[in-house]
Amino acid sequence: MRITFNSLFRDGMRNIENASRSLLEAQQQVSSGKRVDRASDDPSAATGGLASRAELATVQRYEKAADSVYSRLTVVDTVLSDVISKLTAAQSAIMSAQGTTQSPVQREAAAQELEGVRSSIVDDFNMSFNGTFLFAGAKSTTPPYTVASDGTVSAYAGSTTEIEVDINRNSAVTVVLNAESIAKGSAGADVFSVLNDAITAARSGDSAALQTAMAGIKEAFERTTAAQSRVGGDMRSIDGEKLRLEQMRISAMSRVSKLEDANLAEAVSSMNRADTAYKAALGAVSTASRVSLLDYLG
Amino acid sequence: MSDLFASLNSAARALDAQRLGLDVVGQNIANVNSPGYTRRALDLSPIPPNTKFSAGGGVTVEDIHAQRDYLIERRLRTETSAERREAALADALGIVELALGKAGQSVDADLSAFFDSFATLAENPTSAVSRNEVQDQGQNLAASFRAISSGLTSARQDADTQVGSVVEDINNIVERLRTLNQTIASSPPEARLAPQDAQALLVRQLTELADVSVLQRTDGGVDVSIGNGRPLVVGVTAYEVDATATGPSGYLQLSTEGFSLTGEITGGKLGALLEVRDATIPGYLTQLDELAYEVVQQVNDLHATGYDQSGTAGGDFFSFSASLTGSAGAAAAIRLDPAIVNDGSLIAASGSTEVGGNTVARAIAALRDARVLSGGTATLSDAWGQLVYRVGRDVKNAQSEQSNRSEILNQVESLRDQVSGISLDEEAAQMLRFQRAYEANARFFRLIDETLDMLFSMA
Repeated sequence: MRITFNSLFRDGMRNIENASRSLLEAQQQVSSGKRVDRASDDPSAATGGLASRAELATVQRYEKAADSVYSRLTVVDTVLSDVISKLTAAQSAIMSAQGTTQSPVQREAAAQELEGVRSSIVDDFNMSFNGTFLFAGAKSTTPPYTVASDGTVSAYAGSTTEIEVDINRNSAVTVVLNAESIAKGSAGADVFSVLNDAITAARSGDSAALQTAMAGIKEAFERTTAAQSRVGGDMRSIDGEKLRLEQMRISAMSRVSKLEDANLAEAVSSMNRADTAYKAALGAVSTASRVSLLDYLG
Repeated sequence: MSDLFASLNSAARALDAQRLGLDVVGQNIANVNSPGYTRRALDLSPIPPNTKFSAGGGVTVEDIHAQRDYLIERRLRTETSAERREAALADALGIVELALGKAGQSVDADLSAFFDSFATLAENPTSAVSRNEVQDQGQNLAASFRAISSGLTSARQDADTQVGSVVEDINNIVERLRTLNQTIASSPPEARLAPQDAQALLVRQLTELADVSVLQRTDGGVDVSIGNGRPLVVGVTAYEVDATATGPSGYLQLSTEGFSLTGEITGGKLGALLEVRDATIPGYLTQLDELAYEVVQQVNDLHATGYDQSGTAGGDFFSFSASLTGSAGAAAAIRLDPAIVNDGSLIAASGSTEVGGNTVARAIAALRDARVLSGGTATLSDAWGQLVYRVGRDVKNAQSEQSNRSEILNQVESLRDQVSGISLDEEAAQMLRFQRAYEANARFFRLIDETLDMLFSMA
């Protein structure tokens, strides 16, 4: 086999090129920390990385939603607690107006107390948070109740459609409630009419009407506690979802990293190997082209 | 006495022959770096004796020939064509890959951000800020599709421009081959070696550009044909390849003598460029268009079921800036509907006329998980992943194919060098060989000369 000048040169250059390309690739991995920089580096890992990134984005979005829903439900919960305490106050006011020994002044005091309760409960149901009326259902831009100058409260003006927000796939939580389901439910009259009746009855000392009102308040009380326990249940389920979402996020992040990131120890050691190979190729070529028969001809 | 003069003559011829040997060595060493040069070798043969009293007439120069193996040269042409094709594919597709952008910075991220914005809107359906966010992300997504579509289209145009310059190169080489054929045919055999080296080099350059068939002519020239046997050079006639911009796309179509060549060329740089321009990139574009079209359809379908802030039924969310046939061109024409661009309150987030509703916003946000593509098996971001995978795989295949091919090419080049290349060690040895032979012949010449002197002194 004839070894020619050109093949020596070409093979030498080729080996140097290959070695320097490997070195460059290894250096890129070490300096960028990425194993997959372009899809062609590893097409299936790149695609897997994209899917995991999409999952990560979805999970992070749900986590954000869970946080914001939770803070909103905290407000709803506080409002419902307040309604409950106001309804308790109403019950004691009605109690204090009952009986034959009460003087008109005492009955008037009870009536005024009840008027205060009525206006507080309206305020509670008209609570808005970040521009959203929390108890107006889908009509969340307008207050669900309006108060007339004589203190009487309008009928429910909100929507019966409640608003839900997704906090995970197949898991949604109600964030804008339908006040009427709490104030009225399946009863004939809402809590405000009941309070109106109670106020009138307190002033007139109508014991029977006060009894009826008492029963109505009690029903409203039960509906409110039921609503509050539903909100509490939702808040607990958000806590659970947040834990699940966190695990999903960690696993998606580690999948992205596993698919796309370089194993630094491995990358550095392969960079050192490539460096050695490069130097060896340079050395081999320079040694091989140094000797020639011409040197020995006198 | 006449024999002594004959010896003197033959010694002089031998000196000439050995000097010529040194010349050939000199020529070989001088051209060690000349591309296409094949090693020259001197053929010497003895002159037979003409009488019983003669040892022979010395040496004569038969020929200086180029050491060429036509089989290896042909193999080299085939491999060159294949290697160049893969190299050109890898280069062109590498650019396409860049056009797709990096993971987390391209359509994938914009799709996520778009669905995120609808999820945010679902939390606060009446918030103007959330609506602005949806407008922004809708525009971003549409712009991203348009940018990638235009990146792919300009990669296609680049390939087309390159097709034009490759065709020019081909015509140039063809013309030079024709001239060489003329020169070779009209030259005596000893003057053909250099033009034949040039011819082999040109033919090799031509095979880098396209897959051509080469036939050796008896007069030393070559006939070259391209595609399905369409002639480029036959003897002293050259046939140009015509590149004409045709069709609605304005891309170059190739023909020679009125026969279309575009679909016939598969090898070399030209084959790769035509494939990238006419098959590969259009395939990617179709996939991108289908994705963009599906985004528009899915979002618009849901959006139309909703109601905007004034309780009016939702119109188009996305629209196309040009009318389309099927999904072709969807990625280039996708835009946020101008009405939505102007007025965020037209985004139909509510499932009823009640403004605070959010069921449609939630449904659009949930599209991120909906398997709406590839016959209901792929989500929208899966479809993007499929496109990225396809491009990545094509680039990787072209790269590894190129590296395999270049390994083979290297082997064949080594084979060619074994036959035709110059070994400096070998030439040094040859130099020594002819130098010593020259010295010995000179000594012989002097000996005969002295013998003649002696003979003359006897007179």
